[in-house]
Amino acid sequence: MGLLSPQDEATLKAHLSPITIPVQLVLFTQAFGGSESGDVAKEVLNEIASLNDKVTVVEKSFVLDTEDKAKYKVDKAPAIVILSDGIDTRMRMYGAPTGYEFVGLVEAIIVAGTGKIDLDPETMKWIQAVDKPTHIQVFSTPT
Amino acid sequence: MAAANEKITADAIEATEFMELSRKYRVTGVPKTIVNETIEIMGGLPEKMFVRQALDMPEE
Repeated sequence: MGLLSPQDEATLKAHLSPITIPVQLVLFTQAFGGSESGDVAKEVLNEIASLNDKVTVVEKSFVLDTEDKAKYKVDKAPAIVILSDGIDTRMRMYGAPTGYEFVGLVEAIIVAGTGKIDLDPETMKWIQAVDKPTHIQVFSTPT
Repeated sequence: MAAANEKITADAIEATEFMELSRKYRVTGVPKTIVNETIEIMGGLPEKMFVRQALDMPEE
């Protein structure tokens, strides 16, 4: 049985339907010494991917896949790196994407899968004018 | 924001999973946003207000 009810699955499937660009969810987990949230993250991602054939999950080892870890600058696990047609979107999720975090993940997947960013045009101008490295960390909890 | 500009990276972090990081940034309530280790934004803000603060833009 999945994490979502049949009704929620149908709602999520419809929400993901505008996706036209392949999205890869690169999941880094730590099999030994890691927390259970890695297993939860894997389950959540697989559930999402089962609802849209353009969304795929790529599993990586936080310990062994050192090249990819360095490539995506992942420094903790579990980590989800969101790629849009193989290209890094620079969006990361750390921890199991449950509760409110699940909503954020789905919205990030839709941005990666449609190329559409739903922001006010003036806000977009401000963001696109940024010319120095800017690292944003948003802390939240599932509830 | 990250998707809109290659200079921007955005991490969503589960605060209870990464307690050391939460302690480092004194996360006592969520959401809390840290930008470039220096700017702190507490709570959820309207879009424009959030972006202005995150990008350290002068107040209107």
